[in-house]
Amino acid sequence: MEPVISVRNLTKTYHVGEHQVNALRSISMDVHKGEFVSVIGPSGSGKSTLMHILGCLDQPTSGQYFLDGRDVSRLSDDDISLVRNEQIGFVFQGFNLLTRTSALENVELPLLYGKSNISAAERKKRAMAALDSVGLGARYDHHTNQLSGGQQQRVAIARALLNNPSILLADEPTGNLDSKTSIEVMDIFQALQRDRGITIVLITHEMDVAAYGSRIVSFKDGNILSDVSNESRRHAGGELQEFPAVVN
Amino acid sequence: MQLPNSLVIATKALRRNKMQTALTMIGMMIGVATVLTMIALGTGAQNAIQDQVKAAGMNMLVVTAGNYQVKKEKPPDDAIEMSQRRNPEKGMRPHLQFVMFHPEDDPFAVHDHPVAKQRLGDSEAGLGAAATLSLDDAAMIRAVPGVQYAVEGIHENVHVGYGDTRWFTRVHGDGSSLPEVRRSWKFVHGGFYSERQERNKEQVIVLGSVVAEKLFGADNPVGRTVTLWKQPFKVEGVVTSSSWMVVPEAGDDQFDAVYIPVTTMQSLLNLSKLNDITVTTKSTGDVSRVAKTITPMLRQRHNIGANQADDFTVTTQASKSLMKGSLRPDVAQAVIGNVSGLEKVTLDQLGKTLDRSSRTMTALLGGIATVSLIVGGIGIMNIMMLSVTERTREIGIRRSVGAREHEVLMQFIYESVILSVVGGLLGIVIGVIASSAISHSVQWSTSISPMAIALSFGVSAAVGIFFGYYPAREASRVAPLKSLRFE
Ligand SMILES: Nc1ncnc2c1ncn2[C@@H]1O[C@H](COP(=O)(O)OP(=O)(O)OP(=O)(O)O)[C@@H](O)[C@H]1O
Ligand SMILES: [Mg+2]
Repeated sequence: MEPVISVRNLTKTYHVGEHQVNALRSISMDVHKGEFVSVIGPSGSGKSTLMHILGCLDQPTSGQYFLDGRDVSRLSDDDISLVRNEQIGFVFQGFNLLTRTSALENVELPLLYGKSNISAAERKKRAMAALDSVGLGARYDHHTNQLSGGQQQRVAIARALLNNPSILLADEPTGNLDSKTSIEVMDIFQALQRDRGITIVLITHEMDVAAYGSRIVSFKDGNILSDVSNESRRHAGGELQEFPAVVN
Repeated sequence: MQLPNSLVIATKALRRNKMQTALTMIGMMIGVATVLTMIALGTGAQNAIQDQVKAAGMNMLVVTAGNYQVKKEKPPDDAIEMSQRRNPEKGMRPHLQFVMFHPEDDPFAVHDHPVAKQRLGDSEAGLGAAATLSLDDAAMIRAVPGVQYAVEGIHENVHVGYGDTRWFTRVHGDGSSLPEVRRSWKFVHGGFYSERQERNKEQVIVLGSVVAEKLFGADNPVGRTVTLWKQPFKVEGVVTSSSWMVVPEAGDDQFDAVYIPVTTMQSLLNLSKLNDITVTTKSTGDVSRVAKTITPMLRQRHNIGANQADDFTVTTQASKSLMKGSLRPDVAQAVIGNVSGLEKVTLDQLGKTLDRSSRTMTALLGGIATVSLIVGGIGIMNIMMLSVTERTREIGIRRSVGAREHEVLMQFIYESVILSVVGGLLGIVIGVIASSAISHSVQWSTSISPMAIALSFGVSAAVGIFFGYYPAREASRVAPLKSLRFE
């Protein structure tokens, strides 16, 4: 089967003054549909750089990137925007929600852009469904500053999922969360993979978090150090039950 | 119909930043309100001056049949000089005046012919040899460029009767646009007869306030029927002076008088000529030019040879009316005080000076308005620029979920257009209120034309687009990655 993501000899070089920083040195890897890939590595190893290229927020210095079989590494800005809108869902460490805006309107956001012209009622319906799927349906009218970190991250996940993307990219989604909330978010990710077959690329620098993935790729200095399937996978669902009193 | 998404996004974004939105709108509002009020005051002042000047008859010239300059104003040979005219009504004070009366103007009987056939025509209607002006002359004058109105006039004495009451007064047969020429008129009841009534030669009449009072006392005479020459005339209105300078009194020519359509008068009295034609020009500066056009035109129409004298007289009203009054004393004083040797100043010069000063005023106001709108526009640009840097993160979020450059551009343009248009509309409301408040409290005349409103609205929208474009383009050029990193 054709991989969802396929990168070949991807490099990214930054020039800072006289210096040249090789953030990625010839990366090649495939991600198949339904995989949950954890990318791990020390700070500065190029994880975020890779993720920005995978998410079409940045372009590689050289190499190719096929998303669903199509080379997206050198598209025009308008085409790239459409790819982001339709094929990619992002979850960031800092949530990146619009402030002073309700959860519902944040989730609706992707539907305001892109090709399809969707009515306001339909937008609302689909955003509500996405909020329900992350267990926040009751809080649709809360503004971002009225939600906890975990809740905000769930809103961000709902937004990322709204256009049924090919991949869900998450850059340290638990970096700002406490351990229990982190497990809750991981539970959502695992459920998405299990129940909806969504392909996930998760970036983290903690082994604990990487262990929720089905495959672990480790980075060092812009190179892939190892790429193995995860034999001792953690299951967030089971761990959550060990926590007393689960509160939303 | 569905609104463009960018517009929806822009309104949502504006609602998120309520404080900023409100402040920017207030800025725009004050700008537009100021401009509009200024224009209102300016045009108001301009109109006031123009009105005063027009009320004074400075844009007026009168073409009179006959040429008394040649004859040295000698009355017709058969005229009777009366040193005292006694009104036939019982209990009325005699009028102490010198009036030249034609025998046909015998107050008591001669004009009471019911049918015009008994009359012998123009030469006997007090027009004499001077019967030279025709309705066609008036129509030709009306077609001269720069002419605003040309009103035909025939003037006679007559008995007006209502029931048992009779009053001896002046009757003027005039065109229906006479009120446009008599700027210091106001209607106490009803109005003037219409052009249609004039065309149809209807027997309708407008009473001067003195006549109305003599015949009807304090009652409203509109709709009643009075008789002239034993013919019924339906009363259309009662006219009086709007200027405190001119108080209607018995014996005056304007308000101790009645007005009937010139066509009705001609057909009833079997006349074909006119006593005079009153002409107004659109601009005060045009009077001399129009007078110079009319003279050769009428000479040609009347087949007057090169070395014959005119059979008509063209008089302008300027200095005469300036000295006489009906101009507000302060304005008259200002004009007289500032123009030395007023009598020597031609009407043309005076008109041109007024035109020039009002043009200067317009240019000045236009200049101030432009400057303040530019300042307002730069204010909008400033705030939009600030918000672009402030909102880099928001732009990044939008770009990461798939907003194209164009969509971000449109969002920001829509935002500034909404700000300036809504601010502009509020400004128009405030401006209208402010100008009417000013004209009420300080008694300054203001004038807001639909044109001024349309202009302010158009300008505020243009300011929004023009000054919103640059910040919007900056916003759309923010790289998605850079904006997400921006903290
Ligand atoms: N815009 C940039 N300009 C210059 N150098 C950059 C830029 N972005 C990243 N780098 C450099 O590229 C390298 C890889 O950075 P990257 O952000 O991918 O690391 P990371 O693995 O995500 O680290 P962390 O775990 O701390 O987030 C680092 O050395 C970084 O300094
Ligand atoms: Mg990183």
